[in-house]
Amino acid sequence: MKEFRFRLILILGAIALSLYLLWPTFQDYRNSKHTSEILSEKEKQIKEANPKISKDNLKDLLNIVEDSIKLADPSILENRQQRVKLGLDLQGGMRVVLEVNTAKLLEKIAKNPDDTFKKVLNDATAESNLSDESVVDIFGRIMNQRDIRISRYFGRITQDDDEILDKLKQDAEDAVARAMEIIRNRVDQYGVSEPSIQRQGTRRIIVELPGVAKEEEAKQLLQGTALLEFRLVKEPEFAYSVMERIDNVLAGKTLEDTTASDTTTAETASADTTLAENDTTQQQLSEEEFKKQHPFFAVVGLNTESGSADGYVLDKNKENVQRMLNRPDVQNAIPNNIEFLFSAKSFTTQDGQSFFTLYMVNKEPELTGGVITDAIATIDQMSSNWIVSMEMNGEGATQWARITGANVDKRIAIILDGVVFSAPVVRNKITGGRSQIEGMAGASEAKLLEIVLKAGALPAPVDIIEERTVGPSLGQDSINSGFMSALLGYIFVGAFMIFWYRKSGSIAALSLTFSVLFILGILAGFKATLTLPGIAGIILTIGMAVDANVLIFERIREELATGKTMKAAIDSGFAKAYSAIIDSNITTFFTGLILYQFGTGPIQGFALTLMIGIVASLFSALVIVRVMANMLVAKGVKLTIG
Amino acid sequence: MRIFENLNFDFLGKRKTFYMVSALLFLIGVLGIIVRGFHFGIDFQGGTEIVLQFEKPVSVAEMRGYVENIGLGNVELKTFGGETGILVRTELQQVPKAIYPQVLDNIEKEINKTYPGLPYQIVDSSATSVTFSFPNPDTTNALVDKLFESGFQTGKISEEPDNRQMVARVGIADWIKINLRDKMQDNPFQVLREEQVGPKIGKELKQDAVVAVLMSLLVILIYLGFRFKFIFAVGAVVALFHDVLITLGLYAALYDILPINLEIDLTVVAAFLTLVGYSINDTVIVFDRVRENLKIHKTKPLLEIMNMSINKTMSRTILTGGTTLITVFILLMLGGDVLRAFAFTLFFGIIIGTYSSIFVASALVLEYAQRSKKKFTF
Repeated sequence: MKEFRFRLILILGAIALSLYLLWPTFQDYRNSKHTSEILSEKEKQIKEANPKISKDNLKDLLNIVEDSIKLADPSILENRQQRVKLGLDLQGGMRVVLEVNTAKLLEKIAKNPDDTFKKVLNDATAESNLSDESVVDIFGRIMNQRDIRISRYFGRITQDDDEILDKLKQDAEDAVARAMEIIRNRVDQYGVSEPSIQRQGTRRIIVELPGVAKEEEAKQLLQGTALLEFRLVKEPEFAYSVMERIDNVLAGKTLEDTTASDTTTAETASADTTLAENDTTQQQLSEEEFKKQHPFFAVVGLNTESGSADGYVLDKNKENVQRMLNRPDVQNAIPNNIEFLFSAKSFTTQDGQSFFTLYMVNKEPELTGGVITDAIATIDQMSSNWIVSMEMNGEGATQWARITGANVDKRIAIILDGVVFSAPVVRNKITGGRSQIEGMAGASEAKLLEIVLKAGALPAPVDIIEERTVGPSLGQDSINSGFMSALLGYIFVGAFMIFWYRKSGSIAALSLTFSVLFILGILAGFKATLTLPGIAGIILTIGMAVDANVLIFERIREELATGKTMKAAIDSGFAKAYSAIIDSNITTFFTGLILYQFGTGPIQGFALTLMIGIVASLFSALVIVRVMANMLVAKGVKLTIG
Repeated sequence: MRIFENLNFDFLGKRKTFYMVSALLFLIGVLGIIVRGFHFGIDFQGGTEIVLQFEKPVSVAEMRGYVENIGLGNVELKTFGGETGILVRTELQQVPKAIYPQVLDNIEKEINKTYPGLPYQIVDSSATSVTFSFPNPDTTNALVDKLFESGFQTGKISEEPDNRQMVARVGIADWIKINLRDKMQDNPFQVLREEQVGPKIGKELKQDAVVAVLMSLLVILIYLGFRFKFIFAVGAVVALFHDVLITLGLYAALYDILPINLEIDLTVVAAFLTLVGYSINDTVIVFDRVRENLKIHKTKPLLEIMNMSINKTMSRTILTGGTTLITVFILLMLGGDVLRAFAFTLFFGIIIGTYSSIFVASALVLEYAQRSKKKFTF
């Protein structure tokens, strides 16, 4: 037995790892079944109690129930994040390819788009539909042919054409970055789980929104306009008192109780100088008790040393806090001219936890982003830190001077579509419309703020050039038929192997189970996506996986025919089949690799399962089957091979 | 169970007969392609496709009546899944100019219905969208929502609070849905699938697909040239060409004849690449035996060695081919509409691929060796 020990450990390890990786998927399946049972039960109850309830109301009520289930058990969310992901074709959803409309952008940023300009632009657009050349290049060429200087429409008189054209190309690329940021921002707020927003080439954006059934609504998310606002951040004292009220409401305390608990809360807040979410070490209260008495401060940390009342919310608690804030009784406790908004990005502390910042801001904006004419991220000559400078038009500059003048030493939040990107302090009254925002952590933060500031004034016109939507019911049908086919395929092939090769065949059939387990395990481990063609890939692998076994078994039979013992035949059978197995599988693997390069979405899923399938089935055939065969022979079991 | 254990058949002696078979299949394929051409799915052709699931059964004829006069020209209709599913497809990606006034009219009617007598201006109109300007921001917001609910793609031109402009886009799919919703009020539907592919993307994908198939052939040529002799690699790749072309021919010849949607789309390209992978697998296994036997029997003529190798690997060829065909067949039957063409390609591809590894790949190597009087040593 000793000789097998290492390989046995390897095999058991692989099996255990696959099971471990698949565990969340299994749990997630059970959770969603459980949740949908509760929901349908609740739906029945609500309908009985109120037969005339409207569809929307019913949906709202059920959403609250669903949220509370999720809230009660955080492991539901964790399992969901770690399960084998399903592609859009299986769970339903929407995939859109957007392309920035360069012509529209040029028209928008041109100094004086007269008729000549429009005509040239139209010609350039028409031509670009037929060629691979960019609109900017074609535009430049046509202008050149007609002897018109580009500086008539863009840039400064002193600049030559090439210089301006380069700048325009840069603008077009910036527009892609802007559109991406706007879309990402919106999609995040829309609450799509696991969205994917990728840039393809220089002008395209691929957006994938799983589980989005209402395609019309989702399409609106993708339009390239955004609202940029400057709003005042509330004073810390005021913000703190509102938070306290919320905490009390959530703890179920009536307003009379508040005075009694004031001291503890104040103390808690001051104790929370570190960002730890519920650092109650200096408190007599245990963690449990603190959570009960201060449900809001348990998840929203404060840093009193900073002199602000910004809340810090752990990544995983963000949704939770949002739900707390949306509760009607909590809403009643918040004055109706203010609201809480989260920061757009989270930051990570030294101990690896990541936090979102929760700001309390005025509902009314002081100014909106339409007045911004330009923004640019640069390095400050004096301090060599990254800064963003922003310019406003005349009208904006006047208002900005008034606003900044009235709010020196206060903070103004820069908000794009409802999330806060920065909340700088006003140092002094800014006249002339030129402002500088300091305190950037690095180039990427500065660049992001530049994009955000421009997003309000310069739209990024995008066209939808490809769109695919799959409804959830079609996806479910596909899952069912895929699962059925896989099961049937497995039964047939397994039965066939046992029939053909007897005991050896049953080893092969068993190893087939492991192959499928490994494929799924590796998919989960790599966080890869399972698509319908991916399921087809698994089914195909079930058929093809036995190939290595067949090659080996046929060789063993040949060796047995020359009069060798079973043990010797197994060894030389494996050895001789080896080169054929490796050569043939490597070539197939190569085609899988090319397919992965070429394909998109579902096809990539297929290529991936095909490649993983090859690796998994090779492991099964060359390691598992061999060890099992050897062990059986060593134990004196008479191994039959048909 | 055993089959072909002591098989000793002179496969390659009969190769002339099989050349004829291949030539015939090839001819049918090429003729099919020339006469009937390929039918590309919307992935490659570009266009719009929606699949609708109605609550009650609908007939294609009835639907045709509804969509024929909405100005989209030639609209293709098919059942999808069962009696309640309908697939609507058109090559168009944008609402044609001719019905633009009709679409505009619909939008204007909707505006008038919401705010009778509201003055508005059309400030911009392009091939895909119209921009309206209204007297004040509130009516603009209300109209954006209202029209959106009725199925038009509307949006504000900017998110500034004083925005008074609304852009309305109308895609083909929206136009079809708006019309059907209107005409089939007693039989509501939900959208199962909606796809729209622009012409540029289609062209790019077609190029990509061809490049992918050629790339895989090239990689195989290099790898096998390295592992075997170059002529073996050439034989294998010619066999692959043969498989792909015959299967493609089958596609062209059988389109509309079988109850399977034999349109060439992305999934079918994936099937073709898989077929390339499977077929090469088969060829390599025969070649591997030939390589081994050439080492053992140094004096025997190549024809004999090849025959011996093919005979020895025949039971494996049939078994693996068999199990794979079983699973592909199950996929063909149960895999649903989406995977049917995929399974069909593989089903025939596997049969042709198995055949070609013997009669094309090996035969070609033999022909070359006999003509050049070359002996292979490994």
